[in-house]
Amino acid sequence: MMKTLEELNRIKSLLLQMAASIEASLSDAINALLERDDTLAKRVIVKDKVINSFDVTIDEECIKLIALKQPVASELRFIITAMKITSDMERIGDLCVNICERVLELNREPQLKPYIDLPKMAETVKIMLNEVINAFVDKNLELACEVIKKDDDVDYYLNQINDELLSFMIKDQKTIYRANKITHIAKYLERIADHCVNIAENVIYLVKGKIIRHIEFTEEIC
Amino acid sequence: MNETIEIEVKNLSFYYNGNIRALKSINFVVYKNLVTALIGPSGCGKTTLLRCFNRMHDLYPKNRYEGEIILDGKNILSSDIDLIELRSKIGMVFQKPTPFPMTIFENIAYGLRLRGIKNKTELRDRVEKALKAAALFDEVKDKLNVSATELSGGQQQRLVIARALAVEPEILLFDEPTSALDPISTGKIEELLVELKKTVTIIIVTHNMQQAARISDWTGFMMLGELIEYDKTEKIFTAPAKKLTEEYVTGRFG
Repeated sequence: MMKTLEELNRIKSLLLQMAASIEASLSDAINALLERDDTLAKRVIVKDKVINSFDVTIDEECIKLIALKQPVASELRFIITAMKITSDMERIGDLCVNICERVLELNREPQLKPYIDLPKMAETVKIMLNEVINAFVDKNLELACEVIKKDDDVDYYLNQINDELLSFMIKDQKTIYRANKITHIAKYLERIADHCVNIAENVIYLVKGKIIRHIEFTEEIC
Repeated sequence: MNETIEIEVKNLSFYYNGNIRALKSINFVVYKNLVTALIGPSGCGKTTLLRCFNRMHDLYPKNRYEGEIILDGKNILSSDIDLIELRSKIGMVFQKPTPFPMTIFENIAYGLRLRGIKNKTELRDRVEKALKAAALFDEVKDKLNVSATELSGGQQQRLVIARALAVEPEILLFDEPTSALDPISTGKIEELLVELKKTVTIIIVTHNMQQAARISDWTGFMMLGELIEYDKTEKIFTAPAKKLTEEYVTGRFG
């Protein structure tokens, strides 16, 4: 079989560049929200094109490698994982854009309330993204499992935020427009966490060769 | 990808024994310092096409070419071409290794002597350089005076490649060079071909589609003497333009 190391390293390098762009977008989107910064929000929206182009390039490279080099075993798993991870990262990029679109809408209105749980939720999601990328780079099973466990924290924050916003809306109808936007943002963050979980599951597949999607997550998997 | 044209094939037809048309108006270009693979079912004409490039068919007087193969501005099918010179410019490696019944050293030195190189130091240097280029030197450096027939099949094939390289050809033709070899030796030859294209242009006929996919830059799919599709290898194996090519590469016929 032909040596494919060079091509695999190229795909890995593209994935890392894409991951760095996603991390920056998420961080900027959260800052744009907390600091009510239109300029930053617009920058994230424009930058999504770069992330999309990574998605296409990585897919093309993977398809080429499968068609031309007939990869097997760990090399095959790496390529399949790369294609799936890319798709999750691209969706994270889109969700960052969605956050920023809502931020631009919110910034035209006075702030509803000081954010309490939302920054905590955003911070947890940021950590999950950072950890899952490191888990992929280092093929670190334990770290991938940590990411999956953190998803419960994010779900907890989502419920807290929704309950709180609901009480605002019940008390005063004038808050509905803004509360609804914030609910959306919290949901986008929760979806980003879900994509991090998908990536973590793919890291587990990459390392162990076992598909763990759609089964109850237990310590044994790790 | 470098795309300087090395060879241009124009309306090439070929007739065995005067009237059996084995190639039908073939047109394509071979790019310099790239690997071009010819694939297709048995009897499609790929070996016939390969043998046109160094006029191997001339061994039988009734064989006949039509059309042109342009190399360095000249039609190599014209009657005034010096075949010895042509074949030193365009070397060929066959399916089964064909070492001469001589020592490893002499297998390579033979062709060099024919080309007038007599100086012992120069001969030794050129033999070593050729063996290194064929990734064989480290395995045979201590037994250059041993008979070439004692080498393994894979080593013999690399020796034959070294022999072809020694006379510094512009182009190397490979006719199923690994079909008689085991997977490890095949892997070594494949890696070697990819390395060799830095210095020579390679045209390879292969029955092994995956081999074409792995090592070539351009691929031609042939059937019944016609070149059905010729494109970048990536295109042929991911999104071929012709239905026949699609059916062949997906294994639906052949």
